Amino acid sequence: MRHGRRRFVIGFLTVPVLLYVVYVISPYAQAFQISMTDWRGIDARPEFVGLANFRRLLEDPVFWKAISHNAILLACLPVITLGLALLFAYLLNAGGDRPGTGIRGSRFYRVVFFFPQVLSVTIIAVMFQSVLRPDRSGVVNGLLMQLGLEPVGFLTDPGLALWSVLGVLVWQAVGFYVVLFSAGMAAIPRELHEAAQIDGAGSAASFFQVTLPLLRHTVQVGWVYLGVAAFDAFSIVFVLSAEHGGPDYSTTVLANEVYRNAFGYAKFGYASAIGVALFFCTITFAALTLRLTRRDRLEY
Amino acid sequence: MAVDVHPAVRQRTARPLRAPRASLRLGRLAHLALILWAILVIVPMLWTFLASFKDTAEIFGPAWTLPARLRLDNWARAVDQAHIGTYLVNTVIVVLLSTAGTMVLGSMAAYVLARYPFRGSGAIYLLLVSGMAFPVYLALTPLFFVVKNTGSIPVIGPFIGLDTHGGLVLVYIAYSLPFTVFFLTAFFKTLPTSVAEAAFMDGASHSRIFFRVMLPMARPALTGITIFNVLGQWNQYQLPLVLLSGNARDKWVLTQGIADISTATGYSADWGALFAALSMSILPMLAVYIVFQRHIQAGMTEGALK
Amino acid sequence: MKDLSRRQVLRGAALTGAGLLAAACATPGDPAGAPKPAMTGAISAANPLGMDENGPLEIVIFDGGFGDAYATKIHEPMFLGRHPKVRLKHVSTKEISGTLQPRFVGGDPPEVINNDGAQALDLAALVQGGQVQDLTPLLDAPSWDDPGRKVREGLLPVAIEAGSFDGKPYSLPYVFMIFGFWYSGKLFDEKGWKPATTWDEFLVLCGEIKKAGIAPFAYAGKYPGYVWEAILTMAVKHGGVDVMRNVDNLEDGAWKVDALRKAATAFGELHAKGYLLQGSEGLNHTESQTRQNGYEVAVIPNGSWLENEQKDVAPADFGYAMFPVPALEAGEALPHAALHAMPGAGFIVASRSKNPTAGMEYLRTMVSSEGAGRYSGLVSTLTTVRGAALPADAKPGLKSAAAALTTAGTDLVNWRVHEWYKEIATELDAATGQLMTGGITADQWVERLQRKADAVKKDSSIKKFSR
Repeated sequence: MRHGRRRFVIGFLTVPVLLYVVYVISPYAQAFQISMTDWRGIDARPEFVGLANFRRLLEDPVFWKAISHNAILLACLPVITLGLALLFAYLLNAGGDRPGTGIRGSRFYRVVFFFPQVLSVTIIAVMFQSVLRPDRSGVVNGLLMQLGLEPVGFLTDPGLALWSVLGVLVWQAVGFYVVLFSAGMAAIPRELHEAAQIDGAGSAASFFQVTLPLLRHTVQVGWVYLGVAAFDAFSIVFVLSAEHGGPDYSTTVLANEVYRNAFGYAKFGYASAIGVALFFCTITFAALTLRLTRRDRLEY
Repeated sequence: MAVDVHPAVRQRTARPLRAPRASLRLGRLAHLALILWAILVIVPMLWTFLASFKDTAEIFGPAWTLPARLRLDNWARAVDQAHIGTYLVNTVIVVLLSTAGTMVLGSMAAYVLARYPFRGSGAIYLLLVSGMAFPVYLALTPLFFVVKNTGSIPVIGPFIGLDTHGGLVLVYIAYSLPFTVFFLTAFFKTLPTSVAEAAFMDGASHSRIFFRVMLPMARPALTGITIFNVLGQWNQYQLPLVLLSGNARDKWVLTQGIADISTATGYSADWGALFAALSMSILPMLAVYIVFQRHIQAGMTEGALK
Repeated sequence: MKDLSRRQVLRGAALTGAGLLAAACATPGDPAGAPKPAMTGAISAANPLGMDENGPLEIVIFDGGFGDAYATKIHEPMFLGRHPKVRLKHVSTKEISGTLQPRFVGGDPPEVINNDGAQALDLAALVQGGQVQDLTPLLDAPSWDDPGRKVREGLLPVAIEAGSFDGKPYSLPYVFMIFGFWYSGKLFDEKGWKPATTWDEFLVLCGEIKKAGIAPFAYAGKYPGYVWEAILTMAVKHGGVDVMRNVDNLEDGAWKVDALRKAATAFGELHAKGYLLQGSEGLNHTESQTRQNGYEVAVIPNGSWLENEQKDVAPADFGYAMFPVPALEAGEALPHAALHAMPGAGFIVASRSKNPTAGMEYLRTMVSSEGAGRYSGLVSTLTTVRGAALPADAKPGLKSAAAALTTAGTDLVNWRVHEWYKEIATELDAATGQLMTGGITADQWVERLQRKADAVKKDSSIKKFSR
């Protein structure tokens, strides 16, 4: 398989790599450069300031707040989303009352659960602003108040706001993985479960001993994707929360601070430094996960 | 997206698990949980749709009331002011082109990186994949200049500069490459080499093997990642915001239009029109999805099974 | 296509690739923004600034509460009437910063910018970067209507001061915004309620309103600026104009003064007393305003653009009216009639645009009696142009604000800290949001702001201003 190999490799790689270098790498390289300047986004000649922006970062309480929120999202978003998706997928497949069909209405559920995926994030955020309003005009609180309960400050209580943001992220993501997992589960031969049941395993045990291991790789890819999403979370936080990351910085994330410092305070140097920190966080996460999910070349 | 099922086992007909009689209770609980989530998904959208017929006072009144009458003028205003139709068409054009480009270029790169190891191929792979970790807004301002400068390249410049769909398409492709390459490289590695080798013995060229043998074999994975890319590019907001400025309103994509109306409610308090515009962008998406959902889900299923 | 040899195709592709790579290498550090010689023309009576009569003029209008019709229907035709050869281009956007920031870096900004809205450009950074035209020549030029009078004389001094950085005029605030407590004249008349002059009176009024089953007070919780504006005004009335001057100048301990602490305490107590509209902390400004139109809440802190913003929503007989933020006590440093009056909706000219003198000439058109008078009529608001009369058909809210302004006389309050140091504005938002919901005490509020001010003062990368 030697003949023409070199030309082929070059021919196939040139255009994608060129596009990537021009539109992705070069702007980021410039961003790294900017992170070591005091550029205010407007003047033509930024001053080189070395690592001063990074030193300032360490003393910035908002930066640490943002990082801790990213950490919370990273810890919770994949677990909750994948957990719920696995549960629903399992119920769709195993909860059926006739053989071979899954649960009654499973097609309907699969279609409906996927809906949030086709909406753009800005639409979701604008929609949930109304859903989570703190008075009777909010969809949730309107219901609570009709039941005679106290309204809940989903987005206005600093102790609760981040969890509301997390809830919206989960709401949006679950459906995709339900469809993915339920497809995977439907492909698991019934005999495997039956074998497990003969060995005395209950439904739960059969789920953990048969289903989960067989879906391992799908779950892992989902984990990487959701993890990267947890590091971003910008659009939802920016549009949904009060004061763009509030109240009182309670929902702000690194990406939001990049934006605030760049376009709010015109401190592009400092914003880029936060971005660089974010970059290293994400890359560490991705590298760790990739290492864990690495698959060897399979041949059969 | 692969399930690690032993190939021998996979040969048999796959059927969902039959529920034993004992778990009838599970069945009821299952229905309860699933219905609950379905309600959670539908209610916000339904409420948005209903709100598009309410006047401002009703929108701020108790949430669980119906509009007193169908105020279609909300929709008329949203059509007039918001140009949702134009934005929808623009978005479709951009996403179609950029997804196609992403899939062609991404699968080419992934294939070579997966199956033609050479010195430096690991580094190129890492370079491409590391893009997943870049926060986009960090690149926004430098990217603006890159696109601006490409606008002055002779001949093709006017088609790929600022305020052009071409420029946006190229940028979308570049920013979709990392996940596409990451996903497809892993996939191409799992495809059997024997078929390709046989074709090569028959005198097929490398590129012929790729297009005629490997791509068809990779169809399930390609479908899955295509869906990913369509959704991702459909949702883009930051990139078009910077690359298609207010000078080029006729080129705007949907997310820009929505954000613009949403901002506008801050100045003229026309909430009915906002929800009409939201509904107008939600409904076609849902309609398209419901029409094609069989294909989409089948694509994802195949992707998941491989 | 056949004639196109493979070699030519390859060469074309290589050139394209090289072009792309070259495009990738432009950094904002390139001297792209180096000042170019600006276009000029002969000075004449019709063209006192000496602009190039054949040059371009791009005008970017913030498409917010005032729309952009005032530019296309009033100012631009007036300008073109005298200077028909200028190539005028009109742009309107809601995203001033996102649209224009890269153009400033690239050295290709438009001439005139209406720098306004939530996405406005950071003016301090622009000034620091030498991107904004010093408007002194404009202010010293003869006015559009009367060659014997300078432009400067036709403007409210407070407007020129508000557009100045370190004493130089860089921005021309066009709209004169008056802040206060806004209410429905109709509702107050019906119930027999009277505007309050002191805080104690206001609390009594709140008690009455609450008894009537209406929430006494609401604020836009998502944008706490609407309420800290009132807190700071109250503090200045109590302690005198030096309170905010010291804050603006980042004097040590400027926040830790009695006036600010007492004002914060007063507003913080509204929550504990149950005088706030339920859910107020989750409202944005239009939501709070719409609640008021529905008579769910009696009083909101707001500004003189309110009536125009709500014109399609408010009941026809709502009868907007306002009273000054009540005084903490009787007999303070400033009379209770004192007002926070802020010149806003600033217009700037980009110094590195192609034709900056044309930009100044355009501003000269705007501040003419005709330009300002017709503007007031169209968007129902006061301008910073001296003596531009109220339109004959002025609505009640505008009349009420104008009357309050007359009563206040020269006791007008303003500050700059939120424009000069956006970091402090953000902290004001965050801390005030917490103050209003009982999350922190007034002492903690003062403490947090002092800490932020100290941090800004220490930060060498932030340019400092003073007044």
